[in-house]
Amino acid sequence: MATVTPGLPGTLHPRAAAFTVETRSIERCVGLLFAVSGIALIAAMGLLGLVMRLTQAGAINLSPGWFYRVMTLHGGGMITGALLAAMGATWYVLRAVVPLRTSWMLGSYGLMTGGAVAVLVATLVGGFAAAWTFLPPLPFYPTGLWSTWSEVAFFAGMMSIGTGFFVFCLDVLMQTTGAYGGLRGAVGWRFLRARDAEAPPPQVIAATVVAFDGALAMTAGAAITLGLLGRTYDSGVGFDVLVAKNLVYFFGHTIANLIIYLVAASVYVILPRYAGRPYEATKVFVGGWLAAWLLIVTVYSHHLYMDFVQPRWAEVASTISSYASLLPVAVITIYSMTMLVWGSVYRWTLASTLMYVGLAGWAIGGTGAVIDSIIPINFRFHNTVWVVAHFHTYLMLTVVVWILAFIAHLLERDAEGTSSPTKRITAIALMLVGGYGLTGTWFVAGALGVPRRYALQPPGTNGYSVAGSVFALLFALGFLACLAQLVPLAREAWQRRHYEEEQRVNSWTGARYTALVARDSTVEDAPPPAPAVALAPPLDGPRQLALAAAACVVSLAAFFPQVISASETSVRYHHLDHAGQFFLGTLLGLLLGSTGAVSRRLGDRPGLGLTAVVVVPAVMMLLMVPRFYEPLEGHGAAHAAYHLALAGCGLLTGLGASRLGILAGRLTAFLAIAMTLMFAAATTGG
Amino acid sequence: MTLHFGDPQIAIGVVFAVIALLLAAAFVVIGVQAGSDISAERVHRIGYWLRKRWLALLVVIGVLVVGVSLFDLPYANGGAGGRTVVKVTGGQFFWSLQPGRVPAGTRVRFDVTSVDVNHGFGLYEPGGHLIAEVQAMPGYDNKLDLTLDRPGKYEIRCLEFCGLNHATMEGTFVVGGR
Repeated sequence: MATVTPGLPGTLHPRAAAFTVETRSIERCVGLLFAVSGIALIAAMGLLGLVMRLTQAGAINLSPGWFYRVMTLHGGGMITGALLAAMGATWYVLRAVVPLRTSWMLGSYGLMTGGAVAVLVATLVGGFAAAWTFLPPLPFYPTGLWSTWSEVAFFAGMMSIGTGFFVFCLDVLMQTTGAYGGLRGAVGWRFLRARDAEAPPPQVIAATVVAFDGALAMTAGAAITLGLLGRTYDSGVGFDVLVAKNLVYFFGHTIANLIIYLVAASVYVILPRYAGRPYEATKVFVGGWLAAWLLIVTVYSHHLYMDFVQPRWAEVASTISSYASLLPVAVITIYSMTMLVWGSVYRWTLASTLMYVGLAGWAIGGTGAVIDSIIPINFRFHNTVWVVAHFHTYLMLTVVVWILAFIAHLLERDAEGTSSPTKRITAIALMLVGGYGLTGTWFVAGALGVPRRYALQPPGTNGYSVAGSVFALLFALGFLACLAQLVPLAREAWQRRHYEEEQRVNSWTGARYTALVARDSTVEDAPPPAPAVALAPPLDGPRQLALAAAACVVSLAAFFPQVISASETSVRYHHLDHAGQFFLGTLLGLLLGSTGAVSRRLGDRPGLGLTAVVVVPAVMMLLMVPRFYEPLEGHGAAHAAYHLALAGCGLLTGLGASRLGILAGRLTAFLAIAMTLMFAAATTGG
Repeated sequence: MTLHFGDPQIAIGVVFAVIALLLAAAFVVIGVQAGSDISAERVHRIGYWLRKRWLALLVVIGVLVVGVSLFDLPYANGGAGGRTVVKVTGGQFFWSLQPGRVPAGTRVRFDVTSVDVNHGFGLYEPGGHLIAEVQAMPGYDNKLDLTLDRPGKYEIRCLEFCGLNHATMEGTFVVGGR
């Protein structure tokens, strides 16, 4: 149970003392590391955005080749920066109640920043310019702009960023489900069914849902990215464009969407501290998040409305779920937050003002998005700058604003003060005028039919880019003014955290004076959350073990010579057979790892398990290209060894998954198998 | 060709602007009243009363708007029937349309594909107003049915990022007099 703060700084509402938990140094440090790195990346990418808008306005002369390089970096970098910062904010509020692993979080940081560097090198040095959504097969039609190594660097970078997020998601899932009685407990299902007297804290429910959906999206992203990496060294790999597009958008849309839900988890905890009213999960809240759990992963298909060959049911389901996804946001998150603020004698500080205005960005930007998700409307707005308008509204005016609010909140708590009203109102007003002005120019131009991702604007539309550039400059000024207010707060926070004032008397003159002396570093931090419980094996009991054994026997069919021979009539069937062999190995590994003797011998090694479930399936898919397996098809023993190696990859994956506990173990085994199936569906040729 | 506004984009833009202004006004009002001291009981009583109606309103709007929209899907159904089939092929960075000209009032079926990467077939009528779009995908044929009454030169722009000359990938389609 978290410790409630005995005394609060004056920046927070006095009533908040009853429910504001004390945080530990590690939470503040890791939260700030991620948020500050994220905001720095966002600032740099924002500068690139300004360069693009000025190019469209004709104010600077960037060649189309460079424009699209910059555009690719801007998109990939922004997503990474916002994701990093959102992860930090969520980690900060979640670790107060759940024992998240610092080492895994720092591992995520390394993977994501390393990935961002690879993307930077691929675009600025290698010239890669196929957009961060890299729709296959565009990366392999460079028209002289980029070379193969830059493709490898870009895809490896994206894999690394996605893996970093996957590690975060897995740790969140393992710890929230461990602390709150399994998945049903952590998402509040048991509370909804009156099995639990109390619901988990809101941030636990939100983070669990986001982590689960995030793991699904990362798997789709890994499947297509590994296919693309395979294509870089084997031109025989081809793609089913429709399936590939589904995977890209399932990954890309979902990850971009999850960022805002991730930051919202921190807002549930931080905003009430300024309103002095606690925010607790109710049955409506739980119901909303359970709905969001499904809706977040089903809405992506609205990116494929204009792909008329997409199955009709998927288009219709997507339009319904796109609209339905508005309900939990509008009726629960945004509405509840405004209820907390209304008549609360709200404490207006830099952090709390940013947090409040951020709510409006989600409401307004979300409305623009929902309008565009109606199919007959999308028929006239798809891939116009209307799309750019709505996602910039909630990324600039909600996500970025909330990240600044999160940093400001941490600093204000330690500094026990905030910036002056004039300074903060000026900065925030500049951001609002600039931000809404910029997105307004895109909304109007989108209604005019101006396409997105144009280095050169259609004739007669330059005025929108000129006005947009001016507004973007205003936003940048406001953003910098906010940062400028954070610097003295950071200095003050540092000083108060490390030094304290002490009244002294000068022994010579007898005069009294105030001295700053270093705080006693031996003062204990707040106690850590309860340690994680020991991980149980994913397969529990004779029934589950018997079922897994039966499935292994059935999947032996993937090794029958007749099946292998029949599968070689088509690349897709052949890859499906490989997936079957991997399935057999994975189940076998899970089965063995869940039995008492093997489990004891393997020991409690979640880190090793995580490495296995991430690395081994990836290696297997990189080997699953025609260049490797076609030469073996004429040699019986080598061919059989290749297929056995695929099952061996599965075995290692299953053993790794068995070290991750019930939920994460089953989920990662399922996702590894799903990844091979997605790979089989998307790749053709050879 | 200079772009021009047209329906339904103007109507949709106006509806969005009105909703955005109403939302902004609501946030300003709540923000102004945030400094006052209203009891938690009163906030809950009014807030939850209003929330039920807010939810009901959004559900009704959703059922109506999404429901009606499902009767107006742009997807072509069945065979070409009596339609004139225009084979559209996109490639880096060109559009090929066969035939490139039809009489006004012709019921056209655009059969759209690509020879290399994904492109977006965006059709702007002679006034410069975007009237339809569909993706051009390698390996797939997307079928778009339209009746083109207005004579003149229609412009085609690429509406899916396709590489270096995406912004200048243009084509034309002529609708002659009746």
